[in-house]
Amino acid sequence: MHGEYKMPGGKLVVVDLAISDGCLAQVQVSGDFFLEPDDALHAIDAALEGQDAGADEHMLATAIRVQLAPGVMMYGVSPEAIAVAVRRAIDQGAAA
Amino acid sequence: MTRTLWRDHDWHLIHVDPQPPALHMALDEVLTHEVGTGRRPPTLRIWEWGGSAVVIGRFQSLRNEVDAEAARRHGIEVVRRVSGGGAMFIEPGNTITYSIYAPLSLIKGMSFQEAYAWMDAWTLEALGELGIKAWYQPLNDITSEGGKIAGAAQAHRGGAVLHHVTMAYDIDAAKMLDVLRIGREKLSDKGTQSAAKRVDPLRSQTGLPRDAIIDHMIATFRRLHGLAEDTLRPAELEQAQALALGKFSDGAWTGEVA
Repeated sequence: MHGEYKMPGGKLVVVDLAISDGCLAQVQVSGDFFLEPDDALHAIDAALEGQDAGADEHMLATAIRVQLAPGVMMYGVSPEAIAVAVRRAIDQGAAA
Repeated sequence: MTRTLWRDHDWHLIHVDPQPPALHMALDEVLTHEVGTGRRPPTLRIWEWGGSAVVIGRFQSLRNEVDAEAARRHGIEVVRRVSGGGAMFIEPGNTITYSIYAPLSLIKGMSFQEAYAWMDAWTLEALGELGIKAWYQPLNDITSEGGKIAGAAQAHRGGAVLHHVTMAYDIDAAKMLDVLRIGREKLSDKGTQSAAKRVDPLRSQTGLPRDAIIDHMIATFRRLHGLAEDTLRPAELEQAQALALGKFSDGAWTGEVA
């Protein structure tokens, strides 16, 4: 399942994932955004892995935010924008 | 760490013969590190491309961004760089690329947006002198009335910032669209229908040969910030060649975001 979201004034966020037993699995967040340090991407994927597929954008964004180490800098992307792309992947995947 | 100005640094220039794409990726990693440790003075490196390439951003999905079969068919090497941002389609005569390796103090206290514009102010001045009214389009594009001219990316490593920019001198838009997958969502707030139309190359805007533009850019940098001739040190090149053959030619890195 695949979802994309162009954050207004920011960059493109792409999410690929599967759903297993009602939970997010094999989550891969990607895009043309900027993150410092670069290994923060793994923390974001890990934060989303296993989340309930019924979680709303607010819950998903919070799950990402609490996993991010202090000092992580995001440019052109935010936990909220990633959450939108995740919801799109789930909803469009379900409709397909 | 206090903020430093351009003229506080002793800038060096590296502009050597064409090198393969993976070696360019590796040189960015090595030279950023060398400037971060203070072994190398702050440096401007002008790239000469030894072959065609697609360079994807640090966080981009390989399969979502690149049509691997089309890249193979056109003989285009696919590499992943150390900085974020979007995919670039490179053909040697069509592209002007440079990197600036600077101590982080040069952008201390700046927002990302300010830091990008600050690192490329000399480029906008050089373009202005060539008759192109260009400006920074946040987050990371240099654009003109005709369309986008260049894309920039920064990465922080240790005590240094890497700021690199790829400018379109000319473009084979059909080939680019064959190799890059550019989705509709990406273009959704750009107000244009086609990715090809988003880029307006320097060749049509200046009528100048590529080399003349590069020479002018170097002269502008030198006038504004000072610039001494330099070259790659044997140890730097050796280290970069090892990384180019290892990490940057390795599917594990290029496919790190699958």
